[in-house]
Amino acid sequence: MNTATAEVQNAAETFEATGARGEADALFRVEGLSKFFEVQKSGFAPKKYLKAVDRISLSVGKAETLGIVGESGCGKSTLGRAILQIHKPTAGKVFFHGIELTGLSEKQMAPFRRRMQMIFQDPYASLNPRYTVGDIIEEPMVIHKLYPPAERRRRVQELLLLVGLKPDHIRRYPHEFSGGQRQRIGIARTLATEPDFIVCDEPISALDVSIQAQIINLLEKIQRESGVSYLFIAHDLSMVRHISHRIGVMYLGSMVEYGPVELVYGAPLHPYTRLLLSSEPIADPKRARATHVHIPEGELPSPIDAPPGCPFCSRCAYILPECTASRPPDYRQPDGRTVRCYQYSQRRRQQRRAFGVADITATQ
Amino acid sequence: MEMDMKMRMNTNAGVNVSMSMNMNMDTNVDVNMNISDDLFLPLDESEKDSEFIAIESRSFIADAARRFSRNKLAMAGFIVLSAVVLLAIFGPVFSHYTFDGQDPSSRNSGSSLAHWFGTDKFGRDIFVRLLYGARISLMVGFVSAGINMAVGIAYGGISGYLGGKADMLMMRVVDIIYAIPSLLYVILIMLALGSNIRSILIGICISSWVSMARIVRSEILKLKTLEFSTAAFVIGASKARILFRHLLINALGPIIVTLTFMIPQAIFTEAFLSFVGVGISAPFASWGTLVQDARAFIDIYPMQVVYPVLAICVTIFSLNFIGDGLSDALNPKSRR
Repeated sequence: MNTATAEVQNAAETFEATGARGEADALFRVEGLSKFFEVQKSGFAPKKYLKAVDRISLSVGKAETLGIVGESGCGKSTLGRAILQIHKPTAGKVFFHGIELTGLSEKQMAPFRRRMQMIFQDPYASLNPRYTVGDIIEEPMVIHKLYPPAERRRRVQELLLLVGLKPDHIRRYPHEFSGGQRQRIGIARTLATEPDFIVCDEPISALDVSIQAQIINLLEKIQRESGVSYLFIAHDLSMVRHISHRIGVMYLGSMVEYGPVELVYGAPLHPYTRLLLSSEPIADPKRARATHVHIPEGELPSPIDAPPGCPFCSRCAYILPECTASRPPDYRQPDGRTVRCYQYSQRRRQQRRAFGVADITATQ
Repeated sequence: MEMDMKMRMNTNAGVNVSMSMNMNMDTNVDVNMNISDDLFLPLDESEKDSEFIAIESRSFIADAARRFSRNKLAMAGFIVLSAVVLLAIFGPVFSHYTFDGQDPSSRNSGSSLAHWFGTDKFGRDIFVRLLYGARISLMVGFVSAGINMAVGIAYGGISGYLGGKADMLMMRVVDIIYAIPSLLYVILIMLALGSNIRSILIGICISSWVSMARIVRSEILKLKTLEFSTAAFVIGASKARILFRHLLINALGPIIVTLTFMIPQAIFTEAFLSFVGVGISAPFASWGTLVQDARAFIDIYPMQVVYPVLAICVTIFSLNFIGDGLSDALNPKSRR
């Protein structure tokens, strides 16, 4: 126990001193992360679990953006929060700079907290209404004792300029700002500790479209200038495509497809990804009329105490016998992405090749 | 940020429209035809003002104070209460009577220039006794409210913030205290510790902090789910920092309102105890003992009862008005 603590402490110190990367090249690596919530209907019934995040693995490189898409309630936000250890994960491991975060105490987490930050969905709820803008942006520096106290105010004003606000806004209160301005205050707070990794939890979904572009451009500018990595959670498909390098598609707690953005958007493999992408509105009415949108039958199953099979099997058009029997594992594809669907198991793909049947992607 | 060419862009658009109209209607020309692009310049960085905020900046407290001062009833209560407090502090100093100075030659006298509110059965000046009573009553009210606030905020805050099993246990303790009639405690404590201010304060505080704890707990339960508390956690704030610097500061409104209603409650309890005979003992006076002393002569000298009762009423009325005013002022949703 003691040696383990010392080891972590050491690792944390070297990390603090040099910013050295671990053996793993990925800045952030998540292995088999699960988060189950206990749902109690009554004290006597057996405990039920809501599988909000189910065995998800991913990695984020330096200056890379990983987009996470999926419908409401699929566990996108829970994934982001479990990665940042806001919700303690039920199972799985999270590595940051090659150091395992899961199992660290809050005290041991402190140096890492500085390097990983979060931008929140609701700019109206994420700023303390009793604090001035200056206090809000300064607080992370106070907690992590970053600059000499006298310099902090100047740093706050630099950050305000960086996000396109005025330095003299420092004494104002959040309620005097618009949604987009508030979101930029939140971003300035996030940047105060100079993080390497930021979870953006639907940062644009509460804003109107013109402001959305403003925020996205700001996030991209920050990435270009400081090399920060993003985990970008959203349900706006075109925005995620625009900002992401790689993308993960979630459905009821499972990461059903995960890979480079051109592949996932260009040739989706998992039936759910294809359904999701076909539901994206097309801006050209002629093309929109010509496109057939496949509307799924069946209901979204309850995530509480889900049946043993694939969570998508109640709505899937390509169902196989094994789909209802057990949850599919992640199958790595030749092009590098992973798909959680039995259709893409080694055996099924070989079968299709042997019989000369095209992959389901081709039969749209 | 980048879309701030509005002024000149607008002009540009206007000109375009007039130009196309000219072409469509084929009327006489050469009005705007010599306008070219190089006549337009993008707005200089220093001229852009899109992030300007016109409204004057006000802090939460300043905003609440402004709303409170517009509430006439609350301001009247505030002025009356201030007068009562000032009289209680400075009144006896300027009077040549004392609370226990007896004058057998003028017993039970009515109002006069010498004795504004008359004298009691021992010839003590009732006005001065009322002011001394105000000292004790107000002190009991404010001190017990202060103690309740400190204990209630700490207990309710920790209970609400920790949640889960700790919250369950802490709230059951509160329920147990709540389930036993508080007068029982108070009277038992008075009997055990003797009739003095200290035991009155202990008696009142031992049971009445639970309502503050409940209010604070429910506020914290609500506030801790908001994103700014998660945000504070993410930037690395400790539990204590989140609870005391982020959550409680936002629960300030309900806390202050509860506080202003706790003061009259404590004054009432003290007056009741003194009236029943277990409160402050002679020759010290509180408003309750004054009523109790005069009760025997209510048919002959009714005014001796009326003065202390009036004092209690006026004080509690003003405290209630202040409480109402504060709850309006601190809750911006009620803003018209």
